[in-house]
Amino acid sequence: MKIAVCIKQVPTREWQPRLTDDKTWIREQDASFEMNEPDAYALEEALRLREKLSGEVVVCSAGPSRVQQVIREALARGADRALHVEDNSLAAADAAMTAEALAAAMGEETFDLVLTGLQSDDQGHAQMGVILAERLGIPHSTIIMEVQVDENPTTGPGQGRLRVKRELEGGWFQWIAMPLPALLTIQSGINQLRYATLKGIMAAKKKEIKKVPLSGGLKPAQEILSLSSPVRSKQTQMIGGTPADAAKELVRRLREEARVL
Amino acid sequence: MTRETLEVDVLIVGGGPAGLSAALRLSQLQKQQGGEPLAIAVLEKAREAGAHILSGAVLDPSTLRDLIPDFQAKGAPLLSPVQRDNVYMLTERSKLRLPIVPPPLKNHGNYLISLSQFVQWLAQQVEAEGIDFFSGFAGQDVLTDGIRVIGVRTGDRGVGKQGEHKPTYEAGVDIHAKVTIFCDGVRGNLTKRLIQEFQLSKDREPEQYAVGLKELWDIPGGRIEPGTVVHTLGYPLRHEEFGGAFIYALPENRLALGFVTGLDYADPLFDPHMAFNRLKKHPLVASLIEGGTLVRYGAKALPEGGWNTIPKLHMAGGLIAGDAGGFMNSMRLKGIHLAMRSGMLAAETAFDAIRAGDTSEAALKTYQDKIDASPIRTELYPVRNVHQAFGYGLFAGLMFSGMTLLAGGRWIGDLRGRPGYQRMKTLAWYYGLDVPVTRPSNVATIDRLTTFDKLTNVHYSGTAHEEDQPSHLIVQTEVCSSRCGPEYGHPCTRFCPANVYEIIRETGQPPRLQINASNCVHCKTCDIMDPYQVITWVPPEGGGGPQYNGM
Amino acid sequence: MILVVAEQREEALNRASWEAIAAAQQMAGAWPIAVLALGASVGDVATQLAQADVAEVLTGEHAALRHYTPDAFTMALKGVIDQKKPAVVLMAHTYQARDFAPMLAARLRVSLITDVIGISGDGASATFTRPMFQGKLTATVRATSSGPAIVTVQIGAFRADAVRRGGSPSVSPVEITIDTAAIRQQPEAPFQEAKQAVDLSQAERIVAVGRGIKSQDNLPLAQNLAKAMGAEIAASRPICDSGWLPMERQVGSSGQTVAPRLYVALGISGAIQHLVGMKGSRTIVAINKDADAPIFEVADYGIVGDLFEIVPALTAELEKK
Repeated sequence: MKIAVCIKQVPTREWQPRLTDDKTWIREQDASFEMNEPDAYALEEALRLREKLSGEVVVCSAGPSRVQQVIREALARGADRALHVEDNSLAAADAAMTAEALAAAMGEETFDLVLTGLQSDDQGHAQMGVILAERLGIPHSTIIMEVQVDENPTTGPGQGRLRVKRELEGGWFQWIAMPLPALLTIQSGINQLRYATLKGIMAAKKKEIKKVPLSGGLKPAQEILSLSSPVRSKQTQMIGGTPADAAKELVRRLREEARVL
Repeated sequence: MTRETLEVDVLIVGGGPAGLSAALRLSQLQKQQGGEPLAIAVLEKAREAGAHILSGAVLDPSTLRDLIPDFQAKGAPLLSPVQRDNVYMLTERSKLRLPIVPPPLKNHGNYLISLSQFVQWLAQQVEAEGIDFFSGFAGQDVLTDGIRVIGVRTGDRGVGKQGEHKPTYEAGVDIHAKVTIFCDGVRGNLTKRLIQEFQLSKDREPEQYAVGLKELWDIPGGRIEPGTVVHTLGYPLRHEEFGGAFIYALPENRLALGFVTGLDYADPLFDPHMAFNRLKKHPLVASLIEGGTLVRYGAKALPEGGWNTIPKLHMAGGLIAGDAGGFMNSMRLKGIHLAMRSGMLAAETAFDAIRAGDTSEAALKTYQDKIDASPIRTELYPVRNVHQAFGYGLFAGLMFSGMTLLAGGRWIGDLRGRPGYQRMKTLAWYYGLDVPVTRPSNVATIDRLTTFDKLTNVHYSGTAHEEDQPSHLIVQTEVCSSRCGPEYGHPCTRFCPANVYEIIRETGQPPRLQINASNCVHCKTCDIMDPYQVITWVPPEGGGGPQYNGM
Repeated sequence: MILVVAEQREEALNRASWEAIAAAQQMAGAWPIAVLALGASVGDVATQLAQADVAEVLTGEHAALRHYTPDAFTMALKGVIDQKKPAVVLMAHTYQARDFAPMLAARLRVSLITDVIGISGDGASATFTRPMFQGKLTATVRATSSGPAIVTVQIGAFRADAVRRGGSPSVSPVEITIDTAAIRQQPEAPFQEAKQAVDLSQAERIVAVGRGIKSQDNLPLAQNLAKAMGAEIAASRPICDSGWLPMERQVGSSGQTVAPRLYVALGISGAIQHLVGMKGSRTIVAINKDADAPIFEVADYGIVGDLFEIVPALTAELEKK
């Protein structure tokens, strides 16, 4: 089974944002980077599926040269080879442009299954995987908690079938079946992430990373006009009085002013 | 359970300046001399190169020129040449600029760098040579066969708080090497074991340490010229305490601000972090950082003892380089170029020994010979007593340093030193108290604009650890609930710059030590300064620790 | 014209649809608003929607829309959009919208802006604010593709009770074209599962306790308040480290990051490690006996006082009625 995993390199969770002078992007010089967490779970899921069903895991990423860091980490964890769409303009690209870039590079191969994280920890559009599925012409489902692959179905058309558990609001879930090839966006916490071993790191150096140039004419579908730190424009309203009075006043304000009760 | 093993020719433990210089030098020797390619591996406990590296720093580029002559072309990140040096003596409200900068503190020809960034760059050079750089792997134990060092065992990963194996459990790997070069930094946990097991400090003076606290600031423009280097003495320290501040003006309105305190102070209620806060309130510093933004915070110990405290550096199958060996020039406040040089010399020794098929103690002794014949000795020997002289107080230290300079290091006899933790006095001796007191003697006001509490500071170190793992601070806790309170007032709660140690007092219960291990910034102060010597620092699960970008 | 896509399941209207209507009313300017209900049978839903002050309510009915699939919904919506040619398509950022909106945008080759928390201006020049970098930054963005912009609004960002009512929009069917053979997904019936792990990020209200609670025995005080408020219980790090509450209830840099509509911090000093986990909350209430506690710097409402007196008074006040 040939499985593609799309991974993104994002600033680490501990990183404190600093902006460029024109405030349309972040200052990358001060940031340290890591693999987007939902993508790490997607990668782990792919590795587990390969262990069960045998096949190949191909890691795909779009970004400047620094994303080699997460590509190599994925190879060290066990992915077989990688595709890297390399271009500096991809550092701040939105989900639509990223999806188009990957679709152009990945379209040359036929994957049985494509996994991505449900959204990225940086721009957080939650769109890339689904747009990619549309461009690759394959069905999709999102926010997946469990994946079952039936490679030799006795019913239904096609080469294989998927049955996946999708997360809904409020503790609800749903199983959905669809044919392969398909794309799934994976929810964090679906499995336990394995460590990259020493042997894995050494082996990663010999694995293929195919560099693919960015297709011409791709543009983002949205433009960041400005970035800012969320500013609390409201002054803190201190409520005094006896405990009973303060409690009454607070409840009143929460009901009538803030409207959260 | 069968443990995985890996065989290499040279294992370098620690991806800092010494370790990376060793790796690079090995690859150069290989290219020059050809022959069977050596299998080389570098182990680094941080998630990525440079993440656990912290220093001021002013770099003496002499070793860099020798190691990488085309360092400019290769884009070495030298932020700014040093343009001017100033030394101040501070009192609480005023400053006195020394009319002459003492020659050791003259930095003409040196560069301001971020050592973390510099190490990242060095690591890129190493990886470009195809050398395996294993980041996220901690050296947990030395492997010996009783006589020789045969390698290092990496730490287990995926172990839960109670010691149980999680589903992701991976046993540590035994890496066997013909020569292991230990570059595990100041008070390195592996070097500490080597010193004990191979009695490497017999006939040496005890090691001396200081702790450096550092902050990186973005400040409003126009306050200080980039390339300005400032050092201070005096306030907030007293004559009995060793240390001082450094202020380095970096390009783009960045300021490296730091404070070094000798880990040999007598006052048990002294708090180095509070001293740093007091420094920041001094007009000299406040005028620079007011209105600025704190970018990063960190702390690390420094090996201050000098030449006479350097242990024996070689044993069968093993060599020690870098801060782990203690090659810092405490008079010039420089150690990076010496660490790098020691790494290069260790590499040369290892290379020759492996090619000759003889890695015995006798064969590896050439390392010591090389060091004795190198600029390391030329630089460190004359100032070998400086730190020990400060043990007699600020004035004695300054006078001695002055005389040493004039005498070119020629001196009759050597000054003895005592381990710093032994110099800490009890509450009874220092204050005439026998009840537990924990309030620091040097409290500063915390305004959360320029001065911060430890917990807030730790947030800016970017420190993160896997939460579900055993504590990596091994402490014999009986002392904490009995003697320590009345005797020293729980000094760990004060000398740790990261709020790792807290004493919990519940009514009717003896005081209980709570270890907030995930705050640890790996500075080693606790392992060094604890008066009972009951704290042992071991590496936490690989990958965890601070994120010292720009430090 | 703005097309608001309402969401329903088994003929029950998702409350979040009203929030989308509120957003549409804010940004419409001169544009008329049409609200679309999609499903197999949406008459009841349409009647409810017709209470809003909008220009028209459209019913898009088709057997293939009885059970949600992204394929069917995308085909249906594309058809409606081709017919009605809206300038903006607006919906709530629900799990369902996340599942099909990007597909719709990709098929139409238009911009999709998701998880919007604010809208500036109106009509064609409107710009949208949305969170980035896990709430550490807020971005102001605009759509750059030609054609209709699709926008999803964050749950709770716009107030359902702010919807202007009292219009009498026409309710009329709109043609739905679906190639049922092209529907690739086969959904089974949704089901509920006992929650194994606490997911504070889904909670609308949170009551969090810190060291000020002093002892595990005092937790019921906070739990009673949480119950009266319909809130989840959470804690700062020291409480979880002491084992008084499980680790999944920890809010902060080493725990969960939450942004509920209401966050009540009891006896929490506001160490920065905790603040980074909750300062994105819509409304923050802090109760602490230390007037200098950093928590008051991020609180909207603060009471300096003894939480052991104030919290029971609050609970009592809430239980009244």
